[in-house]
Amino acid sequence: MPRWRSVWLVARREIFERGRSRGFILSVAFTTLIVVGSFIVPALLFGEDEATKVGVVEPAPTGLAAAIEATAERFDQDVAMSTYPDAAAADAALGNGTVDVVVEMPADLSGPGGIRFDKETDQGTAQLIATATIGLRAQAVLDQSDVDQAALAAAQRPPTITALEPQTEDDQAKFLVANIGAVLILVGIFSFGFTVLTGVVEEKQSRVVEVVLSTVRARDLLMGKVLGIGALGVVQLVVFVVAALAAALATNRLTLPTTTPGAIAMLGLWFVLGYLLYSTALGFLGALASRMEEASNASTPVTMVAMISYFVAIFAVIDDPSGTVATIATFLPPSAPFVVPLRAAFDAIPPWQIGLSVLITMAGIWILFVVGARVYAGAVLQVVGRMKLRDAWRSAGE
Amino acid sequence: MLEILDLAKRYGPVVALDGTTFTARPGRIVGFLGPNGAGKTTTMRCVFGLARPERGEVRWKGSIVDRDTRLRFGYMPEQRGLYPRMRVAEQLSYFAQQHGLPGKVANAAALRWLERMGLADRAKSKLEELSHGNQQRVQLATALVHDPELLVLDEPFSGLDPIGIATMTDVVRERAGAGVGVVFSSHQLDLVEDVCEDVVIIARGRVVASGPIEELKSASGRQHLEVEVAGSDGEWLDGRRDLTVLERSGDRVKLLVDRSVDLDDLLGRARAAGEVRMFAYGPPKLSELFMEAVAPDVATEGVA
Repeated sequence: MPRWRSVWLVARREIFERGRSRGFILSVAFTTLIVVGSFIVPALLFGEDEATKVGVVEPAPTGLAAAIEATAERFDQDVAMSTYPDAAAADAALGNGTVDVVVEMPADLSGPGGIRFDKETDQGTAQLIATATIGLRAQAVLDQSDVDQAALAAAQRPPTITALEPQTEDDQAKFLVANIGAVLILVGIFSFGFTVLTGVVEEKQSRVVEVVLSTVRARDLLMGKVLGIGALGVVQLVVFVVAALAAALATNRLTLPTTTPGAIAMLGLWFVLGYLLYSTALGFLGALASRMEEASNASTPVTMVAMISYFVAIFAVIDDPSGTVATIATFLPPSAPFVVPLRAAFDAIPPWQIGLSVLITMAGIWILFVVGARVYAGAVLQVVGRMKLRDAWRSAGE
Repeated sequence: MLEILDLAKRYGPVVALDGTTFTARPGRIVGFLGPNGAGKTTTMRCVFGLARPERGEVRWKGSIVDRDTRLRFGYMPEQRGLYPRMRVAEQLSYFAQQHGLPGKVANAAALRWLERMGLADRAKSKLEELSHGNQQRVQLATALVHDPELLVLDEPFSGLDPIGIATMTDVVRERAGAGVGVVFSSHQLDLVEDVCEDVVIIARGRVVASGPIEELKSASGRQHLEVEVAGSDGEWLDGRRDLTVLERSGDRVKLLVDRSVDLDDLLGRARAAGEVRMFAYGPPKLSELFMEAVAPDVATEGVA
C-alpha cells in the first residue's frame, strides 16, 4: 500500500473524528461569535462620532449660530444648532440630553454671556464657542472703528495645523491588523499544536497505537495526525478571518488598510508554517509522556520558545520593523512565523527576505520532522513512565 | 508458514528473547504458552515490527516479513486498545483500510464482522459505550476485518465470560479451517488443549517444547496417574523417587510417574493402604507438560 494512502487515512480520521466533535464545532462557533461581537458591540454602544448639539437661548445676537458653525468648521468639528425661547427651556433640554451645551448671550452684545454644560464641562467645545462669541463681540467693536476690514479678515486667519509624522487612519488599521494577525498565529499554534500533543498521548494511553503501528509507520502516523489536525486549524482560521472581514465591512468600524489582502495571505502562510513546526515538536514530545500530566511538562520547552518568539515579534518588530533584532528573528524558524507577517503588515520587509525565511522555516520543519519521527517511533510504544529523549532516539535506532 | 528464527532481544539488563525459534503452519492453531515474562508478547511484537530483535528474523512463506507482508496479518495485542470515542463500524473500516482494503469493501467487511460478533446493532455506537466483553469482540474483529492470512492473538480469552470464549474459539477454529495460520497465547491451558493442535512452550526467552499436543504427550517421559484410596492421604507413596505428587485432596492424589514405573507394584501398595476406589493411568495433561517444561522457572517466575 502506498505510504501517502496511509498518511491520508490517518489525516482523514483526525479530520472526521475531531471535525464532528462537539468541542471543535463549539470552538469555531464561539470564536466567530466573539469576532463578530467585538465589532458589533462597540458599534451599538458608541455609534458614529456625532455632532455636538448646541442650544442657543433667545433672544440671541444675530449671527451667533452662524459664528459658532463657522468656527466649528474651521476646527473640523460638527455642531448641530437649536434655539430655545428662554433659559429654563434650554436648561431642561440640557438636563434630558437633547442638547450637550447651552449658550446664553445678550442680544445687544452688552455682556460676555455664558456657556453651560449639564454635568461635565467639555473644554474643547467651551473654547470653540468662546472663540465664536468673543469674535462676535470684538467684530462689533471693530465695526465701529475705521479699521481696514480686509486686513482684519486676513489677520484673523488661523495658523495651519500639521504633524511632523502624521498617522493616518490607514497606519492605525495596519497596526491593528498586524497585531490581530500575531495573536491569531500564536493562539492557532497553541490550540491546534496542543490538540496534536493530546492526540498523541491519548493514542499512547489507550494503547491503540500498538494496533495502528502494526500496519502504519510511526512517521506516517505522526505526519497524518499533524496534517489532519492542521486542516481543521485552517478551517477555523478561514472562518475567523471571513467573520472578521464581514463584520468589519458590515459595521463600518474599521477602514480596511490597503495591506489587508497581503496581510491575510501572510497570516495563512505563516499560520501553516508555524503550526507545522510547533505541532511536530509537540507531537513527538507528547510521545515521551505516558500520561497527560507528564505531557504538559514535556511540552514546556516548546511553549517557552513560542512565547519568547511572540514577544520578540511584538516588542522588537513594532519598535523597529527593519531593525537588527527583527531581521535576525526573520531567519530563525521558531520566531519567523510571528515576525515575518508582522513586518509585512508594516511594509517593512523586502520580498527576498520573505522568500528566504519561508525556505529556512520549511527546512527547519523538515529536520524537526525527521528527528521527531524517530523519537516518536522510539517513544510511542514504550509504556512505562516518562521517557528520556535520548533513550527514545536510541531505541528507534536499534 | 510463519517462521520465528533465533530471535534475541534484551530490555536493559533483562533478557526477553534468547534464541526463540518455532514455526506455525497455515490452517493450524498454535497455542503459544509460557510463564509471565517468558517472552511471548515480545515475540509477537517482533512479528509486527513493534519490537526490534537484536538478532534473528521472522519469515512468512519463506521471505522476511516486511510492512507489506504485515498488511496480510491480523494482530490482537495483549494491552487492548482502540479509539474510545470512535464509532465501532467506522473504526473497523478504518483499520481495514489501513490494511489496504478500498473504502467500500472495508465498510462492508466491518459490518459483516460486527454481525458475526453479534454486534450489528452497535455499529454506530462509540466504542466506549460498549461493555468490556463487547469491546473485546470488536478488538478481535479488528484483527480479522481485512481477512488476514495469519492471526496473532495475545491472550485473546483473558477477561471473557464463557459465551465470549465460545464466540472467540468458534471464530478462531473457523479461520483455521479456512487455511489461516493462528498463533495465540494463553494461560488457560485447558482451553488451549481444547482448541489447539500445536503448542509452543517458551521459558526465559527460549522454546522449551513445541509440536503437536498429542506428540508431546506421547513423547513425555512421565505419565499421569490419579489414585483414590479410602481413608488414606497417600502416605503409601512416601519414599518413592520415581514420581512427583502434583496434588493431594482428601483421599485422592494426582501424580506424575516415570514411564518405567511398575504399576502393579504401585497398585499393590495402594491396596495395602486401603480400599482403592480409583486408579487412572494415562498421558499427562497439557498443564502437566507445561509445568514439566518450564520447571526450572516455576520456582522463580510462578505461573499465573
